[in-house]
Amino acid sequence: MQPDAPPIDAHDLTVAYDARPVLRSASFTLKQGQMLSVVGPNGAGKSTLLKAMLGLITPDYGTVRFFGKPIDAVRPRIAYVPQIEAVDWDFPITVAEVVLMGRYANHRGLAGWFKRPGAQDRRLATAALDRVGMTAFATRHIRQLSGGQQRRVFLARALCQGADLLLLDEPFAGVDTKTEATLFALINEMSTQGKTVLIVNHDLQILSKFDQVLMLNQRVVAYGPPDRVVTDDNLAATYGGRLTLLEEADQRLAERRNERAHLARTAEH
Amino acid sequence: MPTLLAQLNINPGDWLLPWDSFYLKGTLCSILVGLTCGVLGAFVVLRRMALIGDALSHAVLPGVVLTFMLTGDTQPLPLLAGAMGAGLLAAVLINLVTRHSRTKEDSSIGVVFTAMFAVGILLTNSLPQGTHFDLKCFLFGDALQVGTADLTLMTIISAAVLGLVVLLYHRLKLVSFDPLVAAAMGVSVGVTHYLLMGMLSATVVAGLKSTGVVLVVAMVITPASAAYQLTNRFAVMLWLSGLFGAISAALGMSVAFIFNASTGPAMVIVATGIFGLAMLLSPTHGVIFERLRRGKLARHVRNEDLLKALYRLGPLPEPTHRATLADHLKIQPARLARTVARLRREGLVTPHGSVALTDAGTAHAQKMVRAHRLWETYLTDRAGVAPDRVHDQAERLEHAHDLNDRLDEMLGRPDTDPHGSEIPR
Repeated sequence: MQPDAPPIDAHDLTVAYDARPVLRSASFTLKQGQMLSVVGPNGAGKSTLLKAMLGLITPDYGTVRFFGKPIDAVRPRIAYVPQIEAVDWDFPITVAEVVLMGRYANHRGLAGWFKRPGAQDRRLATAALDRVGMTAFATRHIRQLSGGQQRRVFLARALCQGADLLLLDEPFAGVDTKTEATLFALINEMSTQGKTVLIVNHDLQILSKFDQVLMLNQRVVAYGPPDRVVTDDNLAATYGGRLTLLEEADQRLAERRNERAHLARTAEH
Repeated sequence: MPTLLAQLNINPGDWLLPWDSFYLKGTLCSILVGLTCGVLGAFVVLRRMALIGDALSHAVLPGVVLTFMLTGDTQPLPLLAGAMGAGLLAAVLINLVTRHSRTKEDSSIGVVFTAMFAVGILLTNSLPQGTHFDLKCFLFGDALQVGTADLTLMTIISAAVLGLVVLLYHRLKLVSFDPLVAAAMGVSVGVTHYLLMGMLSATVVAGLKSTGVVLVVAMVITPASAAYQLTNRFAVMLWLSGLFGAISAALGMSVAFIFNASTGPAMVIVATGIFGLAMLLSPTHGVIFERLRRGKLARHVRNEDLLKALYRLGPLPEPTHRATLADHLKIQPARLARTVARLRREGLVTPHGSVALTDAGTAHAQKMVRAHRLWETYLTDRAGVAPDRVHDQAERLEHAHDLNDRLDEMLGRPDTDPHGSEIPR
């Protein structure tokens, strides 16, 4: 084991849906204990980046190493909190049960299939609920929580897992500024305790509170500490509506491919 | 009552007929089908796979008929193998169609399973004359045809499926609730999915003689849907669902005997009855409780509107109050009378003579006026609503007067509302 291998080392990650690239050659490295904000417009490939890193979708090209290893060797050390819309709020499940699920990441291999959470797992789940201040809600159904409380529960699940790296997809979406501040403080506290955190985030106001900012619009527009990369030029390049030359080239290629396919079809008849 | 029973030609002893040793095999087999389908159904319902369940049961027909053609026999084990093969083929075909065409999954399922079902029917048409293949039993079920071999097979499959569900409980729960995070944790979601599908097709096929292909999906979906109405706990839902399935099967058998009807449809009718009751009676999601809750809220609003009207209009003499108030509040006289009576019982309106507010009633009305003006202030100051448009919204919000103090504090204790009226303390 390399002691100081970075929690994330992404190299040249490229993902295409139906030959249309949504993520192009993304590379970045994140050091232990740092907090990274990934920003970019809708459709910039932020969630795709996370999913490709986690192997939930297979990248067309590129590699990611976590703590110097391929992901399958270190999955228990990585906690993923997907977008809140991905959750089925009608599922019959309580807050405590959701948090306890974090422990399942540590039940690996064939034996993991049959493993039941033990007393130690339950203790850790209780502690995680306590950390996010949701102990009083343990037996509630997840539907009976406010938006901020729901997000805290899913943070608690990541904590309960005991991961060293947290990947959070839009944890602040749809909450008011006060709730956002509370959630941020909670996440920041985890980071000061040595956890590495990657957050997909829409709020440009809070970028200065992060150690690193990654501006994404299909490709990495800028990556670095906020005081250096959060500039008008970079923001315009990230959020600007104009097609970049690269995108234009892709579109042309796609058109030509369709044309060729069409020609081939007509030739058959 | 006895005459009615006699007219219907019902012999009370018929209820117990399914438990007669002659029919016991069919009854036990059906109960096992109900129990196992019910438990698996909880996963099917929560994972929104109902259509796949239906597809699997129909798609097995060609497998069964082909096996019958090859072996010339209806031994359950070879039939099970043939059916499982056909089920697997259906799953693969659905996947292929979805992936290589524009057609979405639901339509792909429809295309594949109807095609396979049609092939199955055509195959039975091509069976030589006089062959002993009971298509009707296969389609609609006939628990009376269950033999020892069928019951043995069903027992083994039930034990295996229920055992697996218990052993894999936590993993199944994780994958059902949050497949994305499960995958990120390194859990093979696909393997779990096919395992569930496999268990489902084995159960469905082994239980075909009880309910038949056309209706077996009801035993999967209906008891689980009933359980879903009643609980917010996953484990409780599994238990209830299995229980409802077993009850549907047992009662369904009795109903079939009493009315001399087919067993499969009878079980489905009982299951649907349980679902209907659950839908009506569920304390959290039930239609009846929902109506009660809504009625309670409506009464609350009527009470408070009346208090406010009296606060504005002052005491009203007994004979004329009806017309004035009914006109003011736009409610029917009978409803008005009930509301006045209710407020008198609660001591908010004077018990006799003219209709007037008591001290408690005045205090309550003031609380509402305060709420109304606070909300108007909030809506103009904080929500950017134009002052001439806030009244109607405040009219609705004033019934939430428990928030008064928090609202007041948040607004910095204003003295007047946007229209310049004083906000009472």
